[in-house]
Amino acid sequence: MADATPSLKQTLKKTKIWKSIFRHDFADTPRTRLVRIFGNVFLHLHPVRIAKDAIRIPYTWGLGGLSFYLFLVLTVTGILLMFYYRPASVLAYQDMKDLSFVVTLGQLLRNMHRWAAHLMVIVVILHMVRVFLTGAYKPPREYNWVVGILLLVMTLFLSYTGYLLPWDQLALWAVTVGAQMAAASPLLGNEGPFRLPFITAANDARFGLIGGTVINDATLIRFYVLHCIAVPFLFTIFLCVHLWRVRKDSFSKQTGEKVDVWPHLVSREFLAALLVTVILFVWSLVMNAPLEAEANLNVTPNPSKAPWYFLGLQELLVYFDPWIAGVVLPTLIVIGLMAIPYVDVNPKGVGAWPKMRWKRAGPLPVWYPEERPFAVSVFMLGTILWFALITIGTYCRGPNWEWYWPWEPWSYRRLTKLTLKNLPNLWGGLVLGSYFLLGTPVPKQAKEWLTSKAGPKAPVLVSAALHMGLGIVIAAATFIPLLVSPDADYPLRSRYTTLFETLGRSTNSPVVSTMYQLVQQFGAAGYALIAAGIGVIGLALGGLGMAFGKFKDTLYETLGPIKYAIVMGLLLMMVGVLGKILLRLLFGIKYLISLPAFNFNI
Amino acid sequence: MEPQSATHPPASSVQPPAPLGGRQADLWRKLEERFGRRDFLLKSGWAFFWVFLGGWLLSNLRYLFPNVLYEPTLAFKAGKPEDYPFGISEKWKKTQRTWVVRTQDGFYCFWARCTHLGCTPNWFDAEGRFKCPCHGSNFNQNGDVIAGPAPNPLWRCAITLADDGQLFIDKARLENRPGLREQGEFFLPFESA
Repeated sequence: MADATPSLKQTLKKTKIWKSIFRHDFADTPRTRLVRIFGNVFLHLHPVRIAKDAIRIPYTWGLGGLSFYLFLVLTVTGILLMFYYRPASVLAYQDMKDLSFVVTLGQLLRNMHRWAAHLMVIVVILHMVRVFLTGAYKPPREYNWVVGILLLVMTLFLSYTGYLLPWDQLALWAVTVGAQMAAASPLLGNEGPFRLPFITAANDARFGLIGGTVINDATLIRFYVLHCIAVPFLFTIFLCVHLWRVRKDSFSKQTGEKVDVWPHLVSREFLAALLVTVILFVWSLVMNAPLEAEANLNVTPNPSKAPWYFLGLQELLVYFDPWIAGVVLPTLIVIGLMAIPYVDVNPKGVGAWPKMRWKRAGPLPVWYPEERPFAVSVFMLGTILWFALITIGTYCRGPNWEWYWPWEPWSYRRLTKLTLKNLPNLWGGLVLGSYFLLGTPVPKQAKEWLTSKAGPKAPVLVSAALHMGLGIVIAAATFIPLLVSPDADYPLRSRYTTLFETLGRSTNSPVVSTMYQLVQQFGAAGYALIAAGIGVIGLALGGLGMAFGKFKDTLYETLGPIKYAIVMGLLLMMVGVLGKILLRLLFGIKYLISLPAFNFNI
Repeated sequence: MEPQSATHPPASSVQPPAPLGGRQADLWRKLEERFGRRDFLLKSGWAFFWVFLGGWLLSNLRYLFPNVLYEPTLAFKAGKPEDYPFGISEKWKKTQRTWVVRTQDGFYCFWARCTHLGCTPNWFDAEGRFKCPCHGSNFNQNGDVIAGPAPNPLWRCAITLADDGQLFIDKARLENRPGLREQGEFFLPFESA
């Protein structure tokens, strides 16, 4: 001891009180590094030592930890907001105004709560993408991936329930649409298909969700409790399981020497949290959380847009019947995500980002994930597709939910441009059936049987015939109804004398208009061109199926029939959604199959 | 074969009837293993536990469905019929969420709620269409879907004449099936003078 008289701090450290709180000294010795972690309730979920490569920032980008941190920020700001907010329809909106204009720092807290929620959705999604791409869901971590998906769903549900609370127009109509999807659910929804006989508007799934037949005080208090207590409670339970299992299932990255978690990981976490806090503060200072006019149950804003993370779903709802787009597809997406670790039998690619390599596929250079080409491509396609839907909903939809390019000015009185029509069910069924049949493999046994019956070339020929045939059927069944029955909805009006007249009265979609122009300009040659076009599209579709023919067969042999059916079914549905969007926007086809009696419109 | 074999659980005190063939004895033992007294009590105990738990959870689900609703009444008086011009009247849209339509023959009334996901459409006079702002459904003057994802025509409300000569509109009674929606309480014949 150099000092003759101990400093205040040193004296303090010797008191009984200090020693009762802090059980160890703070010297940077190997022992205190360990004691800091396992002696501290807040830190003890960490391991004491960890592989150096696992905490390199470009491996995880800290996304899981940041999701947790944002949950904490949301909890704290949410608790503070609760001191002023009263969940009653006559008070809620006024309280929001008070928070914005008369409560000191109210606006800042509200902004932080809103922006942290948006950030949490982004970060949770990115965390999922990271875990997928680094293969961190593979055995033994399958179950934790499932818990993670549940947490993602709960994050979105928290956003959804929180959305109603400001009781403004934005809130009310987003929740109206969301709640109405519950009414469209099969069996249990008043307006859904296969409705059970005792289900009415006063006891269906929607009624249970909003606590009445219209959104009012009962809904507000219900969503308030869900948002502030019920869902956070469940979320915390699953979060505990999630974090616990991260430890118990061991980390996906085990390479590199082991380093002490204190200070190496703890300091990184601290810095990441600081960085996000700074971003949140700046964001909240420069941008106010939106607050529209007070909720009016009778008037819908035009256009009425959900928050960005639900805009993909809102856009999806345009293309299918509500129970399909609002209930079946989201359920399939969630189940499909949960199924990933159980259908992905490829053990490669754990603990590292995919190794990308340039490769030639025919004439095209392809950026190619070497170890898990199929898994990575499909997952990224799905993610990109979802964000593409969000982009369309955000930037390409204007008043009356009509298509406006981002650079086009909105006009509330613009005439509705695109006319749509249904394909007759038979043709639509052909399109849909052939499309899903494109996913069938030719298993080994079938190939052997074919070879034994008709020589060594038979399997290839059969596969070619199958795929090309299906491609041609899809193309022909899409075009022929457009050419010959212009008004499937009103068959009596469709007795036109010539094919040309028919085409002219068909939809005004880009493809049909182009065909009309072709015929007008070139006469019979135009028809020939159309026929050639149909052939080319059909052959291209068939060729695409055939190009993957060999791959499909190998996939079938690796996965077996059940896993193959799940994987291929989900993949075809995912791509099919894209196909349906193109059919709607380019061909003016409303539904492929429409059975109004069963609310089945697809 | 003796019925009391080595694998027989000592817990069971039930004696099987004495002379039995091999297969029968086997069956008896299996039955006893499955439905022995201890086992029976244990299983029924657990069964009661799960039934109670399940019933309790389900009853809590029922608890979430209120019995009394504090919602605004769905019926209202909409003034004298002769005061309405021909065509679609937006007079009640902001307060009652309805459009009153007067034709040469009489009145009908739309509930201004899209049959797709429940937003309020807007009336565009120049095009003669109702257009929904949420997912782009379009309806014509009869309420039939002409574009967008809506699965059904717009709902029509019951419209009758009250004793004091005013229109009486009830949004609790709805109809949208062609043929049924143009008659009965869903259409009010009214001769134009």
